[in-house]
Amino acid sequence: MASTSASLSSPAAAVAGRRRYREFFEREGIFSWLMVTPPLLFLAALVGYPFCYGIYLSLQERPVAQAGTFVGLDNFVTLAGDPVFWRVAANTMIYTVVATVLKAVGGLGLALVMNQVFPLKNLVRAALLLPFIVPTVLSTIAWMWILDPSFSVVNWTMINVFGADKPGPAWLGNPTLAMISVIIINTWRGLPFYAITLLAGLQTIPAELHEAATIDGASTWNRFRYITLPLLKPVIFIVTMFSVIFTFSDFQLIYVLTRGGPANATHLFATYAFDIAMLGGQFGLGAAVALAILPPLALILVALAIYMRRVG
Amino acid sequence: MSVIKTSPNVPSRRDLFRLAAAAGVGGLGLPRGAAAAGVTLTFMHESSFIKAYDTYMQKTLVPAYEKESGNKLRYELLSVGSLQTRVTTAAETGQGPDITLNFFNWPYLYNEKYIDVSDIAEEAGRLNGGWTDSVKEAVVVDGKWKAVPFGNVGQLMVWRTDMFKAAGINAFPDTWEELYAAGVKLKVKGTPLGFELGHGFGDNHGWLYPLLWSYGAAEVLPDGKTIVLDSSETAAAVDYCRRLFKDTMNEEVLGWTDPNNNKSFLSEQISCTNNAASILWFAKNDFPDMAKMIAHAQNPAGPKGRFHILAPWSHSIFTHSKNQAAAKDFLRWLMNPKQLRGWLASADTYYAPFLKAFDTDPMWNIDPRYMPYRDSLATAHLPGWPAPVSRETSQSVAKYVVVDMFAKACAGASTREVIANAVAQLKQIYGQS
Amino acid sequence: MVEGRGFLRPLLRLWLPLAFYVVFTLFPFYWMAVTSLKPNRELYNPRNMPLIVHHPTLKHYVDLLQETSFLQWTWNTMLVAVVSTVISLVFGVMLAYPLARMRFAGATLIAFTVAATYLVPQPLLFIPMADIINWLNLGDTLTSVMLTYPTLLVPFCAWLLMGYFKTVPRDLEDAARIDGATRIQTMVKVILPLCGPGLISAGIFAFTLAQNEFLYALIFLTDTSVRTVPVGAIAELIRGDVFYWGQLMAAALLGSVPVAVIYSFFVEHYVAGLTAGAVKG
Repeated sequence: MASTSASLSSPAAAVAGRRRYREFFEREGIFSWLMVTPPLLFLAALVGYPFCYGIYLSLQERPVAQAGTFVGLDNFVTLAGDPVFWRVAANTMIYTVVATVLKAVGGLGLALVMNQVFPLKNLVRAALLLPFIVPTVLSTIAWMWILDPSFSVVNWTMINVFGADKPGPAWLGNPTLAMISVIIINTWRGLPFYAITLLAGLQTIPAELHEAATIDGASTWNRFRYITLPLLKPVIFIVTMFSVIFTFSDFQLIYVLTRGGPANATHLFATYAFDIAMLGGQFGLGAAVALAILPPLALILVALAIYMRRVG
Repeated sequence: MSVIKTSPNVPSRRDLFRLAAAAGVGGLGLPRGAAAAGVTLTFMHESSFIKAYDTYMQKTLVPAYEKESGNKLRYELLSVGSLQTRVTTAAETGQGPDITLNFFNWPYLYNEKYIDVSDIAEEAGRLNGGWTDSVKEAVVVDGKWKAVPFGNVGQLMVWRTDMFKAAGINAFPDTWEELYAAGVKLKVKGTPLGFELGHGFGDNHGWLYPLLWSYGAAEVLPDGKTIVLDSSETAAAVDYCRRLFKDTMNEEVLGWTDPNNNKSFLSEQISCTNNAASILWFAKNDFPDMAKMIAHAQNPAGPKGRFHILAPWSHSIFTHSKNQAAAKDFLRWLMNPKQLRGWLASADTYYAPFLKAFDTDPMWNIDPRYMPYRDSLATAHLPGWPAPVSRETSQSVAKYVVVDMFAKACAGASTREVIANAVAQLKQIYGQS
Repeated sequence: MVEGRGFLRPLLRLWLPLAFYVVFTLFPFYWMAVTSLKPNRELYNPRNMPLIVHHPTLKHYVDLLQETSFLQWTWNTMLVAVVSTVISLVFGVMLAYPLARMRFAGATLIAFTVAATYLVPQPLLFIPMADIINWLNLGDTLTSVMLTYPTLLVPFCAWLLMGYFKTVPRDLEDAARIDGATRIQTMVKVILPLCGPGLISAGIFAFTLAQNEFLYALIFLTDTSVRTVPVGAIAELIRGDVFYWGQLMAAALLGSVPVAVIYSFFVEHYVAGLTAGAVKG
């Protein structure tokens, strides 16, 4: 196609020009940067300023609605000596690790179940997405009833069927049960998204691979272990990492349900930062708490980056 | 003409008009409202749990004000817990509503972003028998009124007369010890007490600070510096609280936030709680039979007296408002008994006014059961009292220092340990660690 | 023996786990439905078996629709969610395609930076964000949240799509390039159709998060006519320490079930899209 047009002189020049022009834009480096620049500018404009502002705040003694004074790392030093801060850090770790593991394992299980053939499949698939769809503030309010000892089905059954003593377990009053409860709610809410994402991943695995393995006599477990899991790995990895980030900075669920109680047993970084900055009017210290999530999350991101480079 | 056409930056005639209005209605001696005609004021409020109260503003006061002043008034309603976020954003960015509602010590927190409204507050006081002294803790900052007080959302004892009677108690206990004795009997009957010990906004502070004070204890001295929480009085209060929790309540109260005790009381799970008048109000609408058996009482007394929490609602004007003069006129208009009485009455006196002239107002006759809310004002103080309002007292509330001290004791920690923890937190907050 | 296996295997592999998941995920919705149908008198009565409605009433639904602007909020929510989802998907593809398929200077750094967006803590970010919105004069407009939500959505969409793009065999792309397709054409006509499931799951993620978002909506949307469902419902159905439980649950159901129905079509589509892709490949 290119060689035939070369015989005519002036159009040929134009074509050559266009081709050079095109080749320039088709170069990987140029094309890539043209693509990524607009979204990057968008993110930089809307997130860059707030991010710098947050760091700037954390280095100040800064009461709300007043001018601040620069105090260097004082706020972080204060936090290091704050027992509640360490409690909050421990809570956040437990909450994130346990909920993420439950969501990942449970989500994979749900994806495997939904990947099978059964009647009303689409309806069930959509219905199982509901916890993820319903606005968190409203679903958390429903959980408030479900966990109320006077109304909880578990307590009702224990008391009325098995004759246990009233009022039964205090799901949000006992510090340990409260943590377990919020983890279960977080799992309930996040599980469907894992499932739908992993289901999408499962469906990109060519059926021939499984068929071939079956012919070779591989067991179900072996097919899962050696075909499904490795091919799903990139998707599992990405979803898990982001799930960790979102769980780490969870706010709405705790804020509606316990606001950190009983006695800080469910306080997380985000709710603690919010209380200090909003209720207490200490922006600098609040920003410092909020930024304390940076090092652990940065570690996760570094792991991600290394992983992606190895895979990519 | 041509200048205006070519340059969009030249203020329009309406803007100029607004500027003129803002520059000083009073100064020019113009009749109120006339000069400010055409401005729009935004008045930000938390949605009251009494719908009729918001409706009264929307359907009666707003049209009346708009007609009298020629201004527009936007009554912006926010959900519970959202107001402070919005006030903070407005104060920080210098944009948003002209007038806002405040709770607790906000006039102090946002002091620099609120204009001085001493003239309005003092005039209202002069015309209405003066202000209850306690409210000044919350609204007067450095000698200036930064907000005009509106009413107190008292936290009092709400109890079921029939359940108490069934346990052989005919009047509400006068002291904490008597309440304990009553509570033991009530719990045996399957109708325990239920006081919030979790991280709510108000129902926890509402009884735990008064409990602390009534045993003669405090976090900090009136000098605002000396931490005195580590005392035998505090220990006595903590020991009492642990007993009260163990023998008269169920474990769930440790995880409660503000709606839980309402739900528990209305579903007849508990015989007594510490709350605002919202329970009785709701029962009157939805459970009229139960409502007949609900009564209010002041907090019990301790060895060192009887105390209550001060939970004032007040109104402030932002310094960023372009219509400060009109906003002040509006507040002055609102504080006129003609308007104020109607608004207070629409809420069944849920908001107890701080103006003494209203103590004898006929609105209290609607239901005398609300009277304790009026009578408790004299012994009401802000969290952190007797220290003056400060950033430190705000931090202590935000970190639930006092609430968690009690809660941890109830969950099993030793008195010595929980006090030591609380003192360590206070030292850190006050920069003494 | 064979029959036994044929009965037991689907029971263990499908029906038992499915039943568990259905109960676990849908029980709270059953609860919401029951709560929304109970009159207050019954709702507050703990002596009843909590899972049964004795005197069902539609009062909470009627109140919700008549006394609040629920339909307006739903419309606002859908509009905002659709627009921010589209923006996020477009930006997500623009980031993900080069990052997954090309070698160019700074790729790793960009991928890292994009994800680092999430390090900015939202509970504090809203104040400077409000500054930006005020500066653009967008307060109280739906545009304000259409613009800010993608900051929460783009990074995840980009990363998720990167994962899917990598699963497409490189030969397909090379074939298209040899046929003379430009990079854009290759991306739009070859890669994107093959990544339908990925696009849909990123879209579902973005849409859901957008309709769920609370903090920005609370700060930027103050007029009841521009509120979204979560903010509007909380503002008008929680009054003081009194919750209008029945109406709140009605709002939760009315706000989520239609979306689930719409998703069910998408779920079907992406299965279909995938088979088509497989045939082409």
